[in-house]
Amino acid sequence: MFRPQAMEKVELIIPEREVVRTTEALAASGIFHHIPTTQTTTGMPARVSDEWQTWTADLMAVERRILLVMEELKINEGTPPLTPPHIIEPRVAERDIERLEHEAETPIRELEAARRRLLQLQKYVAQLTPIANLEIDLGTLRHLRYTFVMLGSIPVANIERLESSLEHIPFALITLRHEGHLATVVLFGLQQDAVALIRAARSAYLNPLPLPEDYRGTPAQAIAALQAGIERTRQHISEYETEIAHLQEMRIRHLRHLLWRVRASHALANTITGYDHLQHTYLVTGWVPKASHARLEQIIAQVSDKVVIETLEPRQEDSGHIPASLKNPSFLSGFQGLVTTYGQPNYDELDPTPLMALTFPLVFGLMFGDVGHGLLLLLVGLLLAGRRIKALQSAAGFGVVVALCGASAMVFGTLYGSIFGFEDVFRAVWFRPLEEITEILLFAIIVGVLLISAGIIYNITNAALNRHWGRMIFNRNGLAGLIFYWSLLGLGARAFGAAVPIPGAVLAIVGSLSGIGLTFAEFFEHLVEGHRPLIEDDVGTYLALAFFELFETLISLFSNTLSYVRMGAFAVAHGALSLVVFIIAEVIGARGSIGYWIVVILGNLFVIGFEGMIVGIQTLRLEYYELFSKFFSGGGIPFRPLSLIPKAGKLNAPENAGS
Amino acid sequence: MGRSTVTAYAQVNATTRALYATLLTPEVWHALIQSPSFDALLGQLDKTAYGAYLKLERQILTPRRTVYQLRWHLTQAYEKLIRLTPEPGRQLLIQLWRLYEVDNLKATLRGIETGASWDEVRRLLSPMFRYVTLTNDDIQRMLASGTIIRAIERIRHTPYYETLIHAVERYEAEKNLFPLEVALDLDYRRWLWQSIAGLKGMDHEQALRLVGTSIDVDNLLWAIRYRIYHHLSVQEIINYTLPFGYQVRDADIRAIAEGADITTVVKRIYPQLEGLEETAVPLKGETSPQQHQLATLERALYRHIGKLCRGTFLGDPFHIGIQLAYLMLLEYELRDLIAVVEAKASQLPVERLASIIDIEWR
Repeated sequence: MFRPQAMEKVELIIPEREVVRTTEALAASGIFHHIPTTQTTTGMPARVSDEWQTWTADLMAVERRILLVMEELKINEGTPPLTPPHIIEPRVAERDIERLEHEAETPIRELEAARRRLLQLQKYVAQLTPIANLEIDLGTLRHLRYTFVMLGSIPVANIERLESSLEHIPFALITLRHEGHLATVVLFGLQQDAVALIRAARSAYLNPLPLPEDYRGTPAQAIAALQAGIERTRQHISEYETEIAHLQEMRIRHLRHLLWRVRASHALANTITGYDHLQHTYLVTGWVPKASHARLEQIIAQVSDKVVIETLEPRQEDSGHIPASLKNPSFLSGFQGLVTTYGQPNYDELDPTPLMALTFPLVFGLMFGDVGHGLLLLLVGLLLAGRRIKALQSAAGFGVVVALCGASAMVFGTLYGSIFGFEDVFRAVWFRPLEEITEILLFAIIVGVLLISAGIIYNITNAALNRHWGRMIFNRNGLAGLIFYWSLLGLGARAFGAAVPIPGAVLAIVGSLSGIGLTFAEFFEHLVEGHRPLIEDDVGTYLALAFFELFETLISLFSNTLSYVRMGAFAVAHGALSLVVFIIAEVIGARGSIGYWIVVILGNLFVIGFEGMIVGIQTLRLEYYELFSKFFSGGGIPFRPLSLIPKAGKLNAPENAGS
Repeated sequence: MGRSTVTAYAQVNATTRALYATLLTPEVWHALIQSPSFDALLGQLDKTAYGAYLKLERQILTPRRTVYQLRWHLTQAYEKLIRLTPEPGRQLLIQLWRLYEVDNLKATLRGIETGASWDEVRRLLSPMFRYVTLTNDDIQRMLASGTIIRAIERIRHTPYYETLIHAVERYEAEKNLFPLEVALDLDYRRWLWQSIAGLKGMDHEQALRLVGTSIDVDNLLWAIRYRIYHHLSVQEIINYTLPFGYQVRDADIRAIAEGADITTVVKRIYPQLEGLEETAVPLKGETSPQQHQLATLERALYRHIGKLCRGTFLGDPFHIGIQLAYLMLLEYELRDLIAVVEAKASQLPVERLASIIDIEWR
């Protein structure tokens, strides 16, 4: 629970014929973290199989085609299957999708054409509407002898340019109507200039809307005929849509199944591409939790007795590349999520999740102490954790975080004597922050000191686990830093008249010695760990840097400690905000009136929502910046067991400069 | 200059100046041009700011892939500076960056017309992941759609849809991508012009001076090319060019369209323009004196912009001009670098290449 699971590096030698089955078994096992060829530290030349690269490219293309058909048939991807589907060869998948494309193509194309036709007919109507009252035969406009007429739509931005281009040609351009960025216009000119006018109109993107010969008579008669055409086209669209809906119903399962088969096959091909390919075998390297090694052997033995598994001793180059599998009880998953949001713990460092699970609710409760508000948070947290609300099921892990914060707020609410902001319902077991501001601020600093010390102890433990003895002793977050910090605290407490059992002189000597250790930390760390040269810069620069280093350590310890004062300040602010709610409630109505209670309820909801959020953010800030920064680097690699069911969209993720 | 302007531009200016120092020097350009082979060129590039993007196995670094990798430098510079630049200048940088999105879109449309696959098209594109409206996924969906009209239907969510869906009628009638490409180019510059209009004070002045000049140059060169290469009518040239600009006026475009002497028109706009009389070695494909004149003019105009950009780094640094100048210089650098890569890949003689790449102003 405090450390990531112990890992073992394994190497599998797989005969070519067994590679697919073995890969499927490795993926199904859920315990094998694969290291692709480019990341291996074996130093062996990598040979990538062309066949599997072709598979990868082909399957990617097929996936895109499937998605396109699904999009056209309005079918979504659905949820990924629980178990990986059977592998499909690219050519088989291609044949399948080709058939489905062919099946879908006709109704879809017909539908698109009908929609375009509908749009065109609507444009004709729009074009004729402004002249609907004219009693002239449209046929006469079609065959004018001396006048050039062109009706059409043009982007509004191009109208001025068209007029400008025709400066030396007689013309008239009349705008009939505007529709978005387009305008319906009619361009008049002389028939003798027709060629120039047509070229100009075309280059200004004036799309002519020639009324088909079928529409004759007056504009009103043509509009009536067009309306009838629109009706017919709508009917056709409806028929095609029904046909497509039917097709969708028939093919939904098939398409989804094919999509996930293709995706799984793509993942398989992609994985094999990452293997080292020798003469007739594949060399696969990866990590497996030590406790699961026997199970992996058993799984592979069931697939084939020709696959050889070797356990490799982790080497120097593996350091920093070993995946960290955090093993916390499931109810701590929310806290683990908060930890990994900050950074992934390294394989060889302590998992901060238990510390976070302990300190996060404590800090939150201290700032948000109220039995009623805490109870509501507890209930909301339990509701989330119990997965009662379907839409919030993905946040179930954070339910426990909210519930524990609520419980902690209830405990502190009891100590502060506050329930839904009422401070006169029961006696405070300890004291009321609003009345004892100095006490609560002092208490906050004490909690801060303990948390900072816990962070330093974590760092000392991490250094000891990694046998970095120099860092453990002389680092500012090591033993010297801790002694220096507590000596200063002791001296400070004595200066303020507090009873400290250790004499001031002893504290001063210990503090000075640890201060010297911190000042020359680099020198001592190099000395203890055998690094040479002992100092990187020249002596003068080093001494100047060392002095400022100590000064900076002093300042940061001071500011880190003071940072926790905010916990007390928020506890006071919580009481003050509740007080404001009651003052407003009494202004609105007499105590006990409906108006009074409405304000109290709304005010409490506001406090829970608004202040709860701010306190949550502050808690996270204290955890991340004041606590984690003491010991947690967060540059680890997460343990990701091989899987053939990739998340949707992952296959086409953006590349980076080097890929 | 307000204190807030100084504060807002302090970090981005420091970053830009650091990046500015990594632009290729004339000595490096000389070495690149003189490289005896494509491999030697890669060796030279490895020592420059582009080296970080070329850390791939040699057999992967084909000329096309090399160009793609080089583009990453511009991508990262744009993304970095957009992130650091304060509003509203940031919007202008985003709009400037979208020129590459328009180019990607044009390359995609060409890919659809030739039936190219994603793998064939992807390395022809500029890598763009942030501050974009057209994603790689959109491009793949367009390519998979098979036809131009269906491809356009798949990018309804982008600002290019309205432009393309209107222009596609001409594509359908003429089966030529020219109307689509011109419509995209014109609309893109209209949006860019609007972004400049959204700025105030020094930012506006500098953006107008740099981006405005760049728009002017594009507009002029379009008009000239439409006349020389496409033989378009006066009306068509006017409609296919922009009605706005910084120093180029409608009358200038009309004069070019109506057949006026190009050098005279250009000299009237830029009296100080140097290099118009240079006699560069005629290039392959230049079949007429007019085409040779156009190549010379292009060099002179880009040299003019290059000098404008260089000059921006002298004087008051707290405005968007610094970022614009650097990015424009980087764009010109990349454009010329691509020419060098292609020249080395096709074994173009060194002297011919030296006449194409103008390193004098760098």
